[in-house]
Amino acid sequence: MFLINCPFCGEREQSEFKAGGEAHIIRPKQPTELSDDEWAEYLFMRKNIKGVQFERWNHVHGCRKWFNMVRDTSNDQIKAVYKMGEKPPVKKNV
Amino acid sequence: MLNYNHTIKEEKSFQGLQMNEVKPVMKLIVRGKKREFLSAIGKSLNMVLPTKANTSTQSEKLTALWLSPDEWMIFSNGVIKENTNSYETETLLNKNISKLNLGAVVDVTDQFVRINLKGDKIYDLFQTGSPFNFNDFKGKIGSVTQTILAKIDVIIHNQNKNEVNLFVRRSFSEHLFAWMNDSASRL
Repeated sequence: MFLINCPFCGEREQSEFKAGGEAHIIRPKQPTELSDDEWAEYLFMRKNIKGVQFERWNHVHGCRKWFNMVRDTSNDQIKAVYKMGEKPPVKKNV
Repeated sequence: MLNYNHTIKEEKSFQGLQMNEVKPVMKLIVRGKKREFLSAIGKSLNMVLPTKANTSTQSEKLTALWLSPDEWMIFSNGVIKENTNSYETETLLNKNISKLNLGAVVDVTDQFVRINLKGDKIYDLFQTGSPFNFNDFKGKIGSVTQTILAKIDVIIHNQNKNEVNLFVRRSFSEHLFAWMNDSASRL
């Protein structure tokens, strides 16, 4: 259990949120030109690193808005929270 | 409001806590992002929508709750007529908002149940089943929060000192009310 600072509602408990997987995955511009392997790579393959990770989260039991979070997966420390569409912080600095 | 099968049939009273359903109450969800949307609502209802997070605004007849940066709930302060499901406010907003493509207006009168809680033990009750920190909420009249109570999604509105409105989806209302009774009996 830990607190997450929702960029819209403020500090709330983690059980109100839902994790939405890795953030900043760009959809290929020409999906029809990709091989099945490349398409599967885009659709299913996600990093699951130990350390600082960029993630999407949804405040599902609150304002129901999506936002991004930089979290250290080894100790659950939240480094930064920012809205969708905002520029992500540089990894070295967080 | 045409649904006469109310799930909550009685008022409950404990030491320092009274709970009852307020019905029928008109409830609308309005959504929109444009500035014209906000000003159109303001002009139609003669009240401004709260733009600050977790707050509400009130006029003589209506209260608007902030739910999300582009979503609000508007409900009538008092009870309305029972034999109708068309509301003046909704018709007005449909004309001024939906028809002009400024935003969305949805009637959720029958989806939500408004439970009124009174007494000085309200927050002791909430504490037994909610992860939300009510310390700041308590002191600010008009605060709004969406959170979980006994694993159920609820909207809580601080109406007055020691008086709170709780909105819960109808299908969950019977269970939540039973849970609150049980929990309140042991406070």
